[in-house]
Order: sequence, then C-alpha cells, then structure tokens
Amino acid sequence: MTTKTRGCNELVSEVIETGLCTLCGACTGSCPYLAYYKGRIARLDNCSRTEEAQCYDYCPRTYTDLNAVSQKIFGTQYTASEIGEVKDVVMVRATEPIVKDHAQYGGAVTALLSQALSDSMIDGAVLTKTLDDESPSAFLAHNIDEVLQCAGSSYMACPVLSSYNQIPKDSKDRLAIVGTPCQVLSMAKMKAIPPGNRVNVENVKLVIGLFCTWALSPDKFHQFLKENCDLPKVKKFDIPPPPANKFDVYTSDGKTSFPLEQIRKFTMPACAFCLDMTSEFADISVGSVEGAEGWNTVIVRTDAGAQLLEQANKIGKLEVRKLPEANLQHLKEAALLKKKRALKEITKKSGSSVNLIYLGLPSELAKLLLD
Amino acid sequence: MANIEIDAPGTSQLFIGNEAIARGALEAGIGFAAAYPGTPSSEILGSLSIIAKKMGIYAEWSVNEMVAMEAAAGASYAGIRALAPMKQNGVNVVSDFLSNLVMTGIGKAGLVLVSCDDPSAISSSNEQDTRPVAKWLDIPLAEPGDFQEAKDMTKWLFDLAEELGTICMLRSVTRIAHARGNVKLGELPTKQHKARFEQTHDLKNVMPTTLIPVPSPFRHFLLHMKLDKARAKFESSPFNRYVGPDKPELLIITSGSCWLYSQDAIDVLKLRNRVGILKLGTLWPLPEKFVMQHLNKADKVLFIEEIDPFIERGIMELAGNLPSDAVRPIFYGKRSGHINAFGELNPDLVIKAVSNILEIEYQARDAEYNNKAETTVKSSVPERTMTFCAGCPHRATFWSIKNALKLDGRDGFVTGDIGCYSMAIGPAGFFQVRTMHCMGGGAGVANGLGKLGQFGFDQPVIAVVGDSTFYHASIPALINGIYNRSKFILVILDNSATAMTGFQPHPGTGITAMGEPTPVVSMEALCRALGAQVEVCDPFDIKTSTDTLLKMMADDGGAKVVIMRRSCELVRAKKDKAPYKVRVDANKCIGESCGCDRLCTRIFLCPGLVWDRKAGKSMIDDVVCSGCGVCADICPQGAIVTEAA
Repeated sequence: MTTKTRGCNELVSEVIETGLCTLCGACTGSCPYLAYYKGRIARLDNCSRTEEAQCYDYCPRTYTDLNAVSQKIFGTQYTASEIGEVKDVVMVRATEPIVKDHAQYGGAVTALLSQALSDSMIDGAVLTKTLDDESPSAFLAHNIDEVLQCAGSSYMACPVLSSYNQIPKDSKDRLAIVGTPCQVLSMAKMKAIPPGNRVNVENVKLVIGLFCTWALSPDKFHQFLKENCDLPKVKKFDIPPPPANKFDVYTSDGKTSFPLEQIRKFTMPACAFCLDMTSEFADISVGSVEGAEGWNTVIVRTDAGAQLLEQANKIGKLEVRKLPEANLQHLKEAALLKKKRALKEITKKSGSSVNLIYLGLPSELAKLLLD
Repeated sequence: MANIEIDAPGTSQLFIGNEAIARGALEAGIGFAAAYPGTPSSEILGSLSIIAKKMGIYAEWSVNEMVAMEAAAGASYAGIRALAPMKQNGVNVVSDFLSNLVMTGIGKAGLVLVSCDDPSAISSSNEQDTRPVAKWLDIPLAEPGDFQEAKDMTKWLFDLAEELGTICMLRSVTRIAHARGNVKLGELPTKQHKARFEQTHDLKNVMPTTLIPVPSPFRHFLLHMKLDKARAKFESSPFNRYVGPDKPELLIITSGSCWLYSQDAIDVLKLRNRVGILKLGTLWPLPEKFVMQHLNKADKVLFIEEIDPFIERGIMELAGNLPSDAVRPIFYGKRSGHINAFGELNPDLVIKAVSNILEIEYQARDAEYNNKAETTVKSSVPERTMTFCAGCPHRATFWSIKNALKLDGRDGFVTGDIGCYSMAIGPAGFFQVRTMHCMGGGAGVANGLGKLGQFGFDQPVIAVVGDSTFYHASIPALINGIYNRSKFILVILDNSATAMTGFQPHPGTGITAMGEPTPVVSMEALCRALGAQVEVCDPFDIKTSTDTLLKMMADDGGAKVVIMRRSCELVRAKKDKAPYKVRVDANKCIGESCGCDRLCTRIFLCPGLVWDRKAGKSMIDDVVCSGCGVCADICPQGAIVTEAA
C-alpha cells in the first residue's frame, strides 16, 4: 500500500486514528507539530509537508518494505523466519553484582551497554527510565550509573525515539539505542533512508532490541497502578513464565500478583498488528529464558553485536552459555505464533488477504504465514 | 487630544465629537463624570479625566457601566450635575438600573447618559441601535447632527433633565464621536460645586428623599407626564429643522450623521430645489406636531437613519393617526428596502436610494470601482491579517492554550468575550476562541458547559477574560462556578491595561483616571478568597503555562483560575527598551524543511517575523520586532537567537 502524499495528515489518518500507533516516538522530538503526551501522539498544528516527511517515512506502521530494510541492515532478503537473521543464539547473564541487582532477568542489556561505554564504542545510550511515579520516560544515559537507573522493564510503551530525535543535529556522540521491535524497525528505516535535519543516523553504533509480545498503554495501565499500588514503593514488575499467568508487582512491602488477563486489558491495541517478537532488525536482541531465572536469551544478528558480546564475555562482564535446543525451539514457536496472529489481525483489519496495510511482505511469504 | 477646557467663548475649536460632548458637559457645569471605556465613547471621559483636577471636577473610570451610571446618579442626588458616557453595550449593562431610575427620577442636578453607538460594529462585538432603549424606558432622547450640536445638545440636555426631573440621553454614532469638526465655544461656568444629599421634602420630584421606584404605577404615570412635557418642548427645539423647497418632490427625514450624508447626497445629485430634508435632533418623544406639519409637504418621504427604523416606525405610527380621508405620503426607507437596517450608511447609499425613488440615472460609483480599488491597494499594501501586536502576551498565552488543549486530547475549547483577545477567533490566536459575546460572557457560558458531565460531556473548557473584563463582568460568573462546582478554567489575560480601548487604568493597575495612586485590587487574592485554586503564570514562559493548564485540566473539581500576567507590549514599550535583540541564524533555520515547515511564519505568525521567500529562511523585521524573544522558544531548530539588547 503506497500513498502519493505522505505527510503528517496521512500519518494521523493511516496510523494514529486507525489504532496502529505503537507510541515508538519516531515522529516526535524533532517535529514541532507532533508531540507525545500521556499515551497519545497529539497533533498540535497542521504541517503542510506532503513529501519527505520524516514522521511518515520512519513510522514503523507506515508502509515498510521489509526486503529493503533487511538488505540495508544485513545485506540479505527478508525471509520471515521465526526469529529473523541470526548469527548465534545464546543464554547470558551479567557477572557484576550491581548489574545483577538491577536486572530484570540476566542483566544482559546493562552489561552490554557497560561494555560498549567502557570500550568507547558509544558515548551514550537512548533508554527507557522508569520515573519515581512508575511512568516510563525516554532517557539519554551517558555513563554506567545512568544506564543502571534505566535497568528493568516497565512493560509500558514509551516514546524512546523521541529522545533520540531531540539529540542536537551536530552532535558527534556515538549512540546505542535500546528499544522494542517497533522502535528497532523505525531505526532500521532511518538507516535505510537517512533523515535530514536530525542527528546523523550513522552515529548509532549499536541497536539492542528487546523481545516483546505486547506493551501496555502507558496512561491506562499507569492509572490502574495508581489505583491499585502504592507507587513510591514499587520496585519491579515481572511476568513469570507460563503457566503462572500473572503479573507480579514487587514493592518494598513484598509482592502483589494480578491475574495476567486483568493486565492484558491495558495492552496497546496496536501490538496486535506486530509480527516481530524478537526485534529482528537489531544488532543484538535480548529477552528472558523460560525456566532459567536470572538469565537472558540473546540473539546475535550483526558483526557489531557479535563483537560486543565477545568483548563483554572476554572481559568477564558476561557469562555466556549455549541456549538449550528446547528453549530455542520454544522461542521460535512463540515468535512464529506472533507472526501468524498478527498477519491474521492485519488481514482482518484490511478486509483482504492481500492488503497487509503497512507490511511490505513478499506475497508468497504472507501466504505461507496465513496458512 | 484637544484642549476642551480652553476658556475662549465665541472662538472655534477643532474637536472630535467626543471632545465636543465633553466640552458641552463642562459648559453645563458638570462636577462628576463616570464611565467604563468602550469604543467609540472612550474619549469623552478620557478628555475629561485629563482636565478634571484643573477644572475642579471629578472623573473616574468605573469598574463597569452599571456602576458608572449609578455613581453618576448618586452625584445627581447630591446636587452635582453628572455625565455617564458609554458605548452601546454599556446601555444594556445599565438598563436595569435605568428602568428603576426613570421611576424615581433624578436629584436636583441634571444627569445625562451618552450612548455612542457603533454602526457596522467597527469596534464592537455587536451592532445595536440604543435609541429604542430610550423609547422603552421613557427617556427623553436627542441625537446631534454635527459637532456643534454634539456640544450644544449635551449642555442643553442637563438643563432639560433638571427641568423634567428625569435622566436624559444623548445618542451619538462612531462618525460623530470620532470625526472632527469646528465647534464654537460657549462660556464655562464659574460656580463652585457644593454637594449635599438633601433629605427634605421636595414637591417637584414628589418624594425625592426616598429615591425608590414604588409605587411604580403612580411613578410611571408621573414619568409619562414628564415625557409629555418634553414633547411639548421639543416641538420648538432648534435642533429640529426643515431645509428645502416649500413643496419638495421628496422629503428626507433624518437625524445624526445621516443628516450630513443626506445633504451630501442631494448636493451631488443637484436636487436642492427638488428634495427637502427634515432634520430631527430630538428623537424621543417625537415632536408630533412639528413632524406632522412637514409630513404633508411631499408625496414621497424617505427615512435615512442608522441603524434601526426608529424614526421611520415612530412617524408611521403618527401617520396611522391621520384622519381616514387624509392624503398619506408613500414611505420609503428600511421597510421598503431602500435603506439597510444594518451597517453604517454613507452618501453613496443615500444617493442610491434617492436616485432610485426619483428615477434619476446616477451611478454613485463606477461599477468597476471595487475591483480597481482592490487592485490598487493590493499592489502597495503588504498583506496582513488582523493580529496581535509583535510581543503581545496574548499570542504566547493562546499558544500555550492551544498546545495544552491539543496535548490533553479531549477536544477542549475556549469560550471568550470582547477585548484584544477576541482576535483569537482567527489565526492570531490559532483559532482557539469558539464563543464570543458580551463582556464576561465566556465565563458565564463556561459555567453551563462545565456542569454537563452527567450528560457525557468531558471536553475541557477554558474561559478567557481580560483583566479589565474580569473586574467588569466576570466575578459573579466565577463565584457561580465555585459555588456550583462547575468544571472550567478561567484564564485571566492580565496585561495590566484596558488595552483595546486605549490603555485606560482599572482596579488592578493602582492608578485612577485622574492619575492618582490607589490600592491595587489583587485579582489573585480576590479569587483565592472566593475559594478558587489560583495559579499565576508568565505567558512568555510557555512551558510552565502549558503544564499549568494541563494539570488543571486533568484535575477534577470546580472552577479554577490561571492568571496570565504580562504587561501589554505597547504599555511596556512606552516605559522600557526592548529586552532582546532578536535575529535568525540562517545556518540553523531550515525553513520549509521537515522538522519545521515555517512554524514561526506559518503558524505562530508574530508580525515581527517575516518569510524571506528567496532565501527560504525566516527573518526578523527589526522595525516591527519588539524584542520579546518568545519566538526563540517556539523555533524547533533553535535558529532564533536572542541577545541582550
């Protein structure tokens, strides 16, 4: 699906008003017309641009030629394999106690960033920080202390790329970006066609992708938290692996569990249309390991990702093990299921098995997934 | 302003109509004048306030027209002649008091209300003819046809008011109020004013010691007697006269500025020997005999008046009383469609009506005139829309309001009223104001909207009022909102002046009309005392202003107040030099590119910013820029640079 004019109006009518917006933040931060506020992208005024409109071009839910993006990032065709382009899949955990203390699971992201910073691979990292009131906020970290402040998952969508877009154009800082699959896809689109009037996308030396099945709507879920928890006491959220089927909130007083179904009501509707569970266009992707608490699954996708992991392992910031085959299979099954479900939702929304809305997916692959 | 106090009887002075009225009041020996500013009436009190001390009189800017009129009545009760000038809207504000005042009668000293109407609503929210008010409230009414009459009639109305014991009204219009003409001066009185509220019985006003309107039917009857007396006097008033041949083909009946238009029209058409003009100065009650004497002069009668068919209907009523066998003229005017019952008139419109009735070929204007004028003007005048001045705090305030409402996302909107900020109905205020009525009207409308939650209404409502408007007409609406817990935000645009009418002081400015220092009536202290949550913001701090509005919109509860406080740029510029030297860094300005799309010259629209089409960059117009620096905060690229001036 291509449109002749592609600007703010089309972004609003095709993505925001149709419930496809993932709140990735790619359209905000460097644009005076679009702004994120409390779980929405608001249009403050009308922009008259109808071409070379970055809000439209870098949105992960406007038309995306997956082959072109894959060619740019990996030099290969997009194959719709379950977990994307893979160099290696391992399980990993951080070794430093302070990192482990802050970790959601194995502390792999923090350890990798720590390595990248100390290696001078990067000068800063665009991250999500959970604020004191438990609302997520984009944050540009410049040292390990600031990275540690961002450890842990809020499970809420956060316009991280807004913070990236705000970086001054002339900044020479080399950057890492940690994001969800939609944010990683947006970064990949930026790499494919570098934006003008934003900081040089070549400065982004590392993209760490997070595994993601869905994200929670920040305003609705935050409201729920406010009503059900003592926010200043909240320390951590977690979704323990199946069959637990619950959402745990750890506070200084202990743990409160909510049925997962109760929390899933706050899922971003847009997440239903996402095919990517493992951030397939990242340099390196990180998630949990079922049945191995305190470990991360890490998918290495690019040379940059591979070198960073190797360095961190060599220095001893990380402990790396082989991921058991059963876990890998399980991961692939889950990822494939997400693809199939999403494609079904997309075709349901478009009303046609050939109209994939934003997905530029070769028709034979689409057919395969729809079967 | 002219020296209205000049003591040179018999000499001629060039006065605008408002100055002529003020001079007339001086010659009448007023001791008291009170008004609320309102175009086109403001210069009456304005010119009196300047010379008040010197002339030993008192002049004040009152908080509103109602209080001004009541205060003037108070002076009359204590034996001081008093004047209350106002614009047409003020007459509406005053009408309740007036309807009682006509029953009680005035004091020993004359009391005159001047209403300056604004045909075509050039400086008004509404177009309204106030002459019918005189009719429905039984008030003797006169309307000057030129500047000399403006002075003379004012003076005469004080005598008349005292003689009748009732308030009299002078009706003026913009083209009398603001046009300028020669006025031959009369004597200024030398009598010293002595004020005392006499509590003794006085037969003339029946019961002046108890100034109450009851028993009303009896007092109403007495009032009609006063009107009969007025009518009798009007029959021989020199302000009514006939000019023209004994037997004209067409009789024009007119008053006010239309008297001038009518003369111009028949001069242009060279019809002095065929058309007669009956010029009326005393309009209510109509001098019936005088009118009927002239009515049978012609077979055709044309009424020329602004705005309503007031004289037209009055005289048609009289014609209805003619004996059944009497010859009635054909009446032309608003009813026949020859003259508009809206908008200002002018000689061209009168020419059109007269030539139509007399079947004369005459084109007042070349058919192509409008097109030619437009082409000529367009080639030499820069394209500009109505907008806020460069550096106006209102632009910044509406920027914050717009952004806050958009970010909030519940389709909130602004109710407004009349003031500079009314321009926010258009691009100057980013089309934010959705309702606009009388002073304080927006706050009242917001009260109703803010109570509709039970019907599913969840849109945030922001009522904007100016600082002067807040004191004038918004306080009861705020009290109502607090009392009834109506959910709205009252944004007071406090620019420390009654800016739209010419920077008159008000209770928040700490100075009186006569230049005396006075305690400031603190609006925040007042609002807090009423129980409102109050925040005071600097509109130039866009981030804090926006965040404050967002927070208030998210909060539950009743009426809240945000005071956006920053001096009117025109007031500031008179006192201080510009705070910043502002320039555009052309290297940073990305113009129409993605990431800006000319935000400053396409959306923000401060007239100090101009778009250099050739260069594809914005630039500062140094002549217009006031150096406020707000645009530097708006620019998404940081390309607008402020340096200490």
